[in-house]
Amino acid sequence: MIGVSPSRWTMSYFSVALLALIGAEALMVAGFGFPSQPVAAPETLVLVHLIAIGWLSLLVSGALVQFVPVLVAKPLAHPELPAVALVLLIAGLVGLMAGFLGMAGFNVGSMPWLPLGAISLTAGFLLNIWNLGRTLWLARPIHLPARFVAAGLVSLAGVAALGTIFSFALGGWTTNAALLRLTAVGIPLHAALGLGGWLTFTAMGVSYRLLAMFMLSPEAEHRTSQIAFVAGGAAILVVLIGGPVCLLVLRQGAGHPLLIALALATVSLGLYGQDMIRLYRTRKRRKIELNSRMAAWALGGLGLASLLLLALTVLGDVDRRIGAVVFLFAFGWLSALGLAKLYKIVAFLTWLECYGEVLGKRPTPRVQDLVNELRATPWFWLYFASVGAASIAAFLEAPLAFRIAAFGMLVATIKICVELVSTRTLRLVPAPMLPDGAHAKPGLFLPSLRESRR
Amino acid sequence: MTQVPHELDVRPILRDGGEPFTVIMNAVMSLGPGQALRLLATFEPVPLYGVLGKKGFGHAAREIGGGDWEVVFTPAAAVADSRPTEPARPAVDRPSPSGWPEPSRHLDNRDLDPPEPLVRTLAAVEELQPGEVLAALLCREPVFLLPKLNERGHEWQGGFEADGKTYKLLVRKGTGKKAAA
Repeated sequence: MIGVSPSRWTMSYFSVALLALIGAEALMVAGFGFPSQPVAAPETLVLVHLIAIGWLSLLVSGALVQFVPVLVAKPLAHPELPAVALVLLIAGLVGLMAGFLGMAGFNVGSMPWLPLGAISLTAGFLLNIWNLGRTLWLARPIHLPARFVAAGLVSLAGVAALGTIFSFALGGWTTNAALLRLTAVGIPLHAALGLGGWLTFTAMGVSYRLLAMFMLSPEAEHRTSQIAFVAGGAAILVVLIGGPVCLLVLRQGAGHPLLIALALATVSLGLYGQDMIRLYRTRKRRKIELNSRMAAWALGGLGLASLLLLALTVLGDVDRRIGAVVFLFAFGWLSALGLAKLYKIVAFLTWLECYGEVLGKRPTPRVQDLVNELRATPWFWLYFASVGAASIAAFLEAPLAFRIAAFGMLVATIKICVELVSTRTLRLVPAPMLPDGAHAKPGLFLPSLRESRR
Repeated sequence: MTQVPHELDVRPILRDGGEPFTVIMNAVMSLGPGQALRLLATFEPVPLYGVLGKKGFGHAAREIGGGDWEVVFTPAAAVADSRPTEPARPAVDRPSPSGWPEPSRHLDNRDLDPPEPLVRTLAAVEELQPGEVLAALLCREPVFLLPKLNERGHEWQGGFEADGKTYKLLVRKGTGKKAAA
């Protein structure tokens, strides 16, 4: 087949991801995990993995099964595999949460939750890596945005491998000295590969194409983008290979590979920033939609978080402030970009699902008729203001202020979700424009039965 | 350069409901320098013209009875032997595919916000008479539009023009019957 059809499982990934985000924000409001508790506390591990896997990784995975085929103009190699992967990922996440809760002293029974959870998660991620990797491989030669995604997938494999090793060590399934050493000092590598290599690098690649598409900007492959890719890819390899080599072969700490990777990542991010400014400046579409406006703020969040990380590294204060920097990366950049793009993607997918068959044959609403940007805008502002306040509170180690700000994030997120549900259920579409038959009520979570038979 | 064309008959695969694309692409990869590919299929494989056009192949198609088609794909290098000054160009740069009438309608969708090009093209195709051809210019490969055209039984071929930025799509309206999958 030439061309692509929308993936039927993307909405399922998005739904679970948003539930995880709301759950994580509720935990932050309740004072569970950082900054109310130490960065290394098991409660913080619950929170961090709920955000990193449950929200961000599911969001990015769901977006990729949709978007990689668009990037390479070829259908997904195995269209139904993401459903199996999603089940494994959810089961694995639940296992991992139970394992960390057990470490925190909660009664979760005597199952080896951590290793079981990690095996299931790794299996789920590997299925998606295989599926997306094969789609990219079959479409060679691939353009730059798709190469960013490929590098992100390599990084994800590294994160999953390290996470599995950690869980085996913590669960008592291995006493191998090298694996125990990796577990003791390798956590920064795991975090850098996850937040940086997997989530940020993939989001960078996707944003090159998505922002250009939505703003009608020229998509020429610039030298800056190529160097951004090479530098970022090198940073991933330094952490992925140099990190374990330093820890296990040279018997040193993880400091040097992380510093080299940070330097490379700074070059990559600087050039990427320049590319993004050019995309916004050279756009043909003067009045841009809410998703592109909010993505600009998310890019600002990325810039701010990167500068803070650099400044703290120079000042030698990273260890004490890393929680606040990671928070800003996760919510000021990744989550903000994710929510902004969800606002557009959910509307587009719903529109295509409901009206694809009758497009051109009868009057249909525009994609923008499925959303109410005026109503949604204040909630995005509340989100950004709350993230800003929560970041400052985390830096100042003020847990109560952080919880109040997190409440603002929770309210904003729920309100944005209400907007997404309203879009998905076509509540804003005038009655004469509603679709007929099987497409009249698209599923919020699962694809419709009619589509399943295709 | 006068090698015998490589012959590939994908009719058995198609009759078994299979997908011959990979077999065809493997055959193309295994061609010798300047060697042509003689393809036998149960329908005119119009989408292939764009795909192989991008790889520098020209094509000559003829119906050989029973609804079957013979298409000879010739690499541009072989064609260039007789016309050395003309660079290889995608098939879509030619006035129209063999047997297709000149486009009766032209659309320039390059400056439209997505998904407006999709809607406009589908609406314009609906207004054509069966057999008529529409030419549309787009700023990227219309990945969501192409399956819709297939679903509605229209033929199409497309590819990037020499500037690498403009995607030119030709759509011939079908008779209203669903395309064979």
